[in-house]
Amino acid sequence: MAVLNLNVNGTHHQVVVEATTTLLEVLRDKLLITSPKMGCNTGDCGTCSVLLNGELIRSCITPAMVADGKTVTTVEGIAPPGELDPLQEAFHEHHGAQCGFCTPGMIMAAKALLTENPEPTEQEIREGLSGNLCRCTGYKKIVESVQAAAAKKN
Amino acid sequence: MEQNDFTAPNDIVTVFNHMEQMGESARLLAGGTDLMVSVNLRRKSVEKLIYLGNCGLDRIEQTDGNLVIGAAATLTSIVKSEFVNQKAPVLVDACKSIGSPAIRNMATLGGNICNASPAADGALALLALDAGVTIVSAAGERNVPINTFFTGPGQTVLKPNEMVKEFTIPLGTQNSRCGWSKIGQRKAEMISIAAVAVSLQIQQGQCHKVRIALGAVAPTPLLAVKAAGVLEGQPLNEESIEAAAKTAAEETSPIDDPRASAWYRKRVVKAMVAQVLGKIQKEETDGRA
Repeated sequence: MAVLNLNVNGTHHQVVVEATTTLLEVLRDKLLITSPKMGCNTGDCGTCSVLLNGELIRSCITPAMVADGKTVTTVEGIAPPGELDPLQEAFHEHHGAQCGFCTPGMIMAAKALLTENPEPTEQEIREGLSGNLCRCTGYKKIVESVQAAAAKKN
Repeated sequence: MEQNDFTAPNDIVTVFNHMEQMGESARLLAGGTDLMVSVNLRRKSVEKLIYLGNCGLDRIEQTDGNLVIGAAATLTSIVKSEFVNQKAPVLVDACKSIGSPAIRNMATLGGNICNASPAADGALALLALDAGVTIVSAAGERNVPINTFFTGPGQTVLKPNEMVKEFTIPLGTQNSRCGWSKIGQRKAEMISIAAVAVSLQIQQGQCHKVRIALGAVAPTPLLAVKAAGVLEGQPLNEESIEAAAKTAAEETSPIDDPRASAWYRKRVVKAMVAQVLGKIQKEETDGRA
C-alpha cells in the first residue's frame, strides 16, 4: 500500500493505492473521472491519455504513485465548467468524433501538441496523434478538427 | 513504521537501501512502459516498486569528450536535446522511432536497454556509437561495453543487486557519419520487424571505425562485426556496400514471429544495410560536389 496525493483538474485528492495501481484506475474507479477510457490497457491505443504536469502520458501504464505530488489534467479540466476548449469546439464543429471512444485521448494529445506547437503542419498533427488509434473516422476529420482549433487560437 | 510498497528515492544510495529493505520482490521502475504492460497482462506479478524518476539519473551532458546520458533520461528528452541531435543523431532517430509521443514522454533509454528486447531500437544506436554502460550497485560501479551487455532475449549481464546508471558515448569527429533505418507494420507504435544503425568515419575516402548494428534479427541486438570488417579501409561504393550488406545478413539468426518471418527478415535487413550505407555514400558525394 501507499498513499497518493495528487491534483486532478485543480482539485486535491488523497487516495490509498497498491504499488501497481494505475493512474487510470485511480481516475476512473476512485475519483469517478471517466473521460480517460480503458481501451487496450497496454499503452497502445491512447484513449487513456492525460497530462501529467503538462506532459502527455498513458494513464493505463503509469503507476498512480508516479503522479504523487503532481498535477493531472483530463478533458474535464481543460475548460471551465460549462465552457468548451477551442479543441472541443473544433471537434464538435468539424465532426472529429464519431463513436467517441478515442476522442478524450485525441483531445488530450492534441492539447499537448498545440501547447508546444500552436501552429502545427498537417504532418506534425499526424505525428502528434500517432499514438491515438481511431477505428471509425480514418483520422481525416480529427486532423481537420485540430487544424481548426489551431486556427481559432491564432 | 510500515514500509511503503512504492518508494521514490531521491538518490542512488537510497535506491540500494530500499532494494535491501524491500527484498527481491521489489522491482525497479523507470518509465514503466514495458513493466506495466506485463503487470496489466498479468505476465508478471509485481507487489513492490522502487521508482527511479527522482534520483537524478536523467542527465544529458558532455563530459571529457563524451556524451553522457543518464539511464532515466526519457526518450523525449533525448529527442529534444540539441546536443544529442548534433553529436549523436542516430540515437535521436532511434529514440524517435520508438512508440508514440506519450510513450516517449515516459519511456527511458535505460529501460529500453535493460528490458533487453532483441528489437530494442535504442540499443542499436548505442551499439553503433560504441557506448559504455555504467552499472552501479551498493558496492560500487563497473563499466561494460554495450556489445557485451546483452546475453539473450530479455537477458543482460546485470546482477540482481545492480542497475544501469548511465551511458557514455564517445563523441564523434567531423569525419563521423551515421545512419538509421527501421521497418515496422506502421510508422508509430511498432516493434521493429528489423532495424539498422550504422556509424563510421570516412578519411581520405576510406571507411574506418565501422559499426553496423542490427535489431530484431538475432536473440540480442546484434553488432555485425564481420560486415563492419568488410568495409574497414574500403571506399563506399556499390560493390563494398553490397558485400557488407550480404555479410551483415549472413550474421543474423532471425526467427519467425507474428511480425514477420525469418525468411523476410534476413532479406529485408540486407536491403536496409545497403540503403543506410548508400545514403551515407550519397551524402558524401553530394557533400564533395
